[in-house]
Amino acid sequence: MASRAAIAMLSRAQRIKSNLQSALEASLLEIEDVSHQHASHAAVRASGSDGETHFNVKIVSTKFEGKSLVNRHRMVYDALADELQSGLHALSIVAKTPQEIAKK
Amino acid sequence: MAKSLSNALLMGLTGLTAARSSRIACGSLNGIGSRYFATVPNDPDTHDDFKPKNKIENSGISLADLVEQDVKENPVMLYMKGVPEFPQCGFSSLAVRVLKHYNVPISSRNILEDAELKSAVKAYSHWPTFPQIFIKGEFIGGSDIIMNMHQSGELKEKLKDVAANSDKTA
Repeated sequence: MASRAAIAMLSRAQRIKSNLQSALEASLLEIEDVSHQHASHAAVRASGSDGETHFNVKIVSTKFEGKSLVNRHRMVYDALADELQSGLHALSIVAKTPQEIAKK
Repeated sequence: MAKSLSNALLMGLTGLTAARSSRIACGSLNGIGSRYFATVPNDPDTHDDFKPKNKIENSGISLADLVEQDVKENPVMLYMKGVPEFPQCGFSSLAVRVLKHYNVPISSRNILEDAELKSAVKAYSHWPTFPQIFIKGEFIGGSDIIMNMHQSGELKEKLKDVAANSDKTA
């Protein structure tokens, strides 16, 4: 049972990763499932899912150049529209350009 | 808490002090108060919690128009899970905390109470998650973005000409 859940969680994270990779040509992509941090969340309980609901996403892409934070986040959400329809509940997004990363 | 939540539904908008004010006061706040009160049943046996929750629809204004009105009439408009006094989600709670820092009046709606409102707001802003913050009619983003703007000083700039939160005497 535990391994099945683990495989299921991996699938969502992997799907997120591949969708973002192809849509946004990310040079850096880090996905973290933090659903367990929100396990007491009313909506998570209601949907009955064991996880795969909340993710942290860090993505670096040249496609974000010249775009406001709102627009960058919209691009990420648009790339993950299917996931959002199928139980993905929330994303914490860090969206940077390669230059911004280099500056740090 | 039940009473304040149902007040939030009936009044539609909850300012920081409005939750404690009477219904009449909130009616004058937006000038079309009669719409919000038109469908309150007179049945004395009906507890607030059992009254129909889609009062907004019954008032004759479409949800899309309502959202448009919300964001235009309120300098700071927050669509969140729960209410500012009692957020039901960590991200919504964070958004409230950040905004409260600036001593501006915060108007909010609890999208957990009305699934159609939730869809209408998502369609309006083309944004799939909550909380959603609008400042002076402009969609700003979610809690990540508001936190980012708070840290960079951008939020202070945006809110600088929003009237400070003074006690509503209405």
